[in-house]
Amino acid sequence: MSELLRLNDLKIHYPIRSGFFNRITDYVYAVDGVTLTLERGKTYGLIGESGSGKSTIGKSVVGLEKVTSGEVVYEGNDVTKRSVRKATKYNQDVQMIFQDSMSSLNPKKRVIDIIAEPIRNFENLTDLEEKKRVQEMLDIVGMPTDSLYKYPHEFSGGQRQRLGVARAVATSPKLIVADEPVSALDLSVQAQVLNFMKHIQQQYDLSYLFISHDLGVVKYMCDNLAIMHKGRFVEVGTREDIYTNPQHIYTKRLLSAIPKIDVENREQHKAQRRAVELEYQDLISDYYDENGRVYDLQDISSTHKAAVIHRESEGV
Amino acid sequence: MWKTILRRVILMIPQIIILSMFIFALAKAMPGDPFTGLITPNTDPNRIEELREEAGLNDPWPTQYVNWVKKAVKGDFGVSYVKKMPVSRVIADKAVNTIWLSTFALILTYAIALPFGMLAGRYQNSFFDRFVVAYNYISFAVPPFVLSLLMMYAFGYKLAWFPTNGSGTVGIPHGTLEFYVDKFQHIILPAITQALLATAVTIQYLRTEVIDSKGLDYVKTARSKGVPEGKVYTRHIFRNASLPVASTFGYEITGLIGGSIFIETIFGYPGIGKLFIDSLNGRDYSVITALVLILGIATLVGTLLSDIILSIVDPRIRIQ
Amino acid sequence: MAEVTPSEKQQLSESTVPMGFNVIVREFKKDKVAISSLVIIIVLLSIAFIGSAIIDTRELMKVDILNQYANPSSQHWLGTDISGRDVFGELIVGAKNSILIGFSITIITSIVGVSVGIISGYYGGIVDNILMRIVDFVMILPMQMLIIVFVTIIPKYNIFSFVTIMSAFYWVGKARLFRSKTLSEGRKDYVSASKTLGTGDIKIMFREVMPNLSSLIITNLTINFAANIGIETGLSFLGFGLPSDVPSLGTLIGFAKDSDVLVNKTWVWLPASLFVLIMMLSINYVGQALGRSADAKQRLG
Repeated sequence: MSELLRLNDLKIHYPIRSGFFNRITDYVYAVDGVTLTLERGKTYGLIGESGSGKSTIGKSVVGLEKVTSGEVVYEGNDVTKRSVRKATKYNQDVQMIFQDSMSSLNPKKRVIDIIAEPIRNFENLTDLEEKKRVQEMLDIVGMPTDSLYKYPHEFSGGQRQRLGVARAVATSPKLIVADEPVSALDLSVQAQVLNFMKHIQQQYDLSYLFISHDLGVVKYMCDNLAIMHKGRFVEVGTREDIYTNPQHIYTKRLLSAIPKIDVENREQHKAQRRAVELEYQDLISDYYDENGRVYDLQDISSTHKAAVIHRESEGV
Repeated sequence: MWKTILRRVILMIPQIIILSMFIFALAKAMPGDPFTGLITPNTDPNRIEELREEAGLNDPWPTQYVNWVKKAVKGDFGVSYVKKMPVSRVIADKAVNTIWLSTFALILTYAIALPFGMLAGRYQNSFFDRFVVAYNYISFAVPPFVLSLLMMYAFGYKLAWFPTNGSGTVGIPHGTLEFYVDKFQHIILPAITQALLATAVTIQYLRTEVIDSKGLDYVKTARSKGVPEGKVYTRHIFRNASLPVASTFGYEITGLIGGSIFIETIFGYPGIGKLFIDSLNGRDYSVITALVLILGIATLVGTLLSDIILSIVDPRIRIQ
Repeated sequence: MAEVTPSEKQQLSESTVPMGFNVIVREFKKDKVAISSLVIIIVLLSIAFIGSAIIDTRELMKVDILNQYANPSSQHWLGTDISGRDVFGELIVGAKNSILIGFSITIITSIVGVSVGIISGYYGGIVDNILMRIVDFVMILPMQMLIIVFVTIIPKYNIFSFVTIMSAFYWVGKARLFRSKTLSEGRKDYVSASKTLGTGDIKIMFREVMPNLSSLIITNLTINFAANIGIETGLSFLGFGLPSDVPSLGTLIGFAKDSDVLVNKTWVWLPASLFVLIMMLSINYVGQALGRSADAKQRLG
């Protein structure tokens, strides 16, 4: 059990300005008190509906989003400050893969320059060494050699996303934040990219923070899961914990929404979904406080936590 | 919406203050002061110095600035060195002419631009559209003074259709029909020239807007309801397309004021543009300062007007 | 898994969009007027620059009052002006001066305007606020008038001060344009990617974002070049541009403020007017063609 990165009561709030003098009148609580520990070589899934704050967490981990309060601890340093990130090897060790492969690759640059960008920033290589490294990266993601001098628009979406993976791996990072890396791709291409990512993980002993709303993809990729709703975690646990023993009503609702190709029992599934939905409407006050905020996480087992109020602990 | 307008007006106040400071500094950098104009070979230099002291010209700058602003608010810009009369009167005399000229130019601009823009957009790629596009391009590219000279040369002198100088013939009694006809004759050539230069933006906006609107759903809906084609354009498309055009109205005014310098100089039309150039050539600095301040504020108001019109016609702006 | 799947192959051929210089060349080949404009510009530039290299400016600007307003002849192809100077020579040297000044102002305002715009749009926040307040303030000034006033009150006035005054006012429009472009460009993920890859801000702004604005910069530069020549000649025309001992197209045209010259001595002002007119029309047309090639929606094909 070696800890790689820890989020400590992370909060990211955006001010809402309104009124005559444009004063701050309220805040959007995009991320509101999130704690999570990532271990080396594992994949963590961050799941939630759009607007739940999962991407914001990802961005704050790589330093693209300013943190309101809380810490991101990496090798004992709080890396929420830019100066700390620069002083340590953090920027080299933590990389990101973006959802939109088209916009994440600079359209005016050739593939060699795109993939060499982090290498140039962190290492001093001769042109020849650099080219060799870029070539290796392309091999790893299964791209042909003649891609080197092409522009991003000359590739398909799946190929571009593989280039994005190659670029993220180029600095031999320890953690890669993957923000919905395959949700813009065709289903057939999705598996291809995911397999490359898994393959690379074994080769480099990488950790992934895998952000997605697709429960199928997450089940395939992740060892541990965190379900987000309204900027807070509703449930954290291993894959088995979440899929076999969901505790929070939101998790149950999310799982029941996975479409099942099972024509025989269609009515049954429908009834089940309805039941969960009814339960959700019924028990909403048990799982959210009067402001609609998710409760603090409670231990269910050693690996499993959920934001529920235990009936027996009521009044405490 | 009132909130938006009010906020916009309040935002203008610091702009006016900085503008006035800027112009005050500029005025101080110019040679001469209000009493330079009074100096004649017989004046006693000591007397002038006393006057300066009395007028506060030896006070510290901030005091002088405040006094200058106080006077300017009341319309007192001092005395013209050259004309030996109050600057406000000198300017007021000429401003009337410029307002007339600008009004005519504005009417002509829209009289040309609205039908040109609408028809060119409606019959896209037709012969007429190509003509409008070419006209537009030339009107955008031609330098104002070159067009003015060519107009003057062709219509003023060679064809001699219009008078070539001034705003009216001397000696025609005020108020008679002849007087107004004469004034109109003097105004028409510079106004047409100014309008030809000003139409480009409006036509461009309108044409693009009409072309873009053609395929939109609300237009298709109108057609499918059986609205006659002509009415589709006049009622439905024009209303929406005229929004961006309306918002350029304020800028149009600002542009006319700026353009008046060339037009009035070339056509010898006695408005404030010509007054500005004449004052510079005559080193009449009190008039120059006042003109820059007044036209600076006019520019501000023009921009404000455009912003307000835009916020009225386009609700999306208001929310911000 | 390295093979390209059929569907990918198809997408690959579809997405091979021509980029950059090729597009411009293709666009110009389709547009005869644009090619002619380009040829006209090159011819006019060559005449102006080669001609003024041959002409001795000091000799040209010598006053010969006896030869005032001479008609065009074999000795003076376009006659002489009020001081008996050869108009043809003045036209050529003046054209060179106007072009050079227009060019310098364009370059200076572009460097300042594009830099300020990109910095403002990239950083946002306080930096953006301060820079844009300055831009807003300069935007609402009656620029033309202020330039004229500055020209009259500056003590040691020369070409250099003229270029400085003009540049001081005309960078703001560009700053605003490129700020808004940077704002939308900066939202794209490749900028975020560069940040996480450890690339510095300056490098991101000028090596990553700026190349993506290049077509707009070139189009804007071209149209501005024409506009600046127009503004310079216009101010010189009024007598508030270049110093009077420096030949300029505007000064030549300015002789036409005298109605006798306007009507009876067309050789003084008409050639210079036509030169400016043709120059402006051609440069603007080329600028628009460049703009069309930058915008995929407007391309001719």
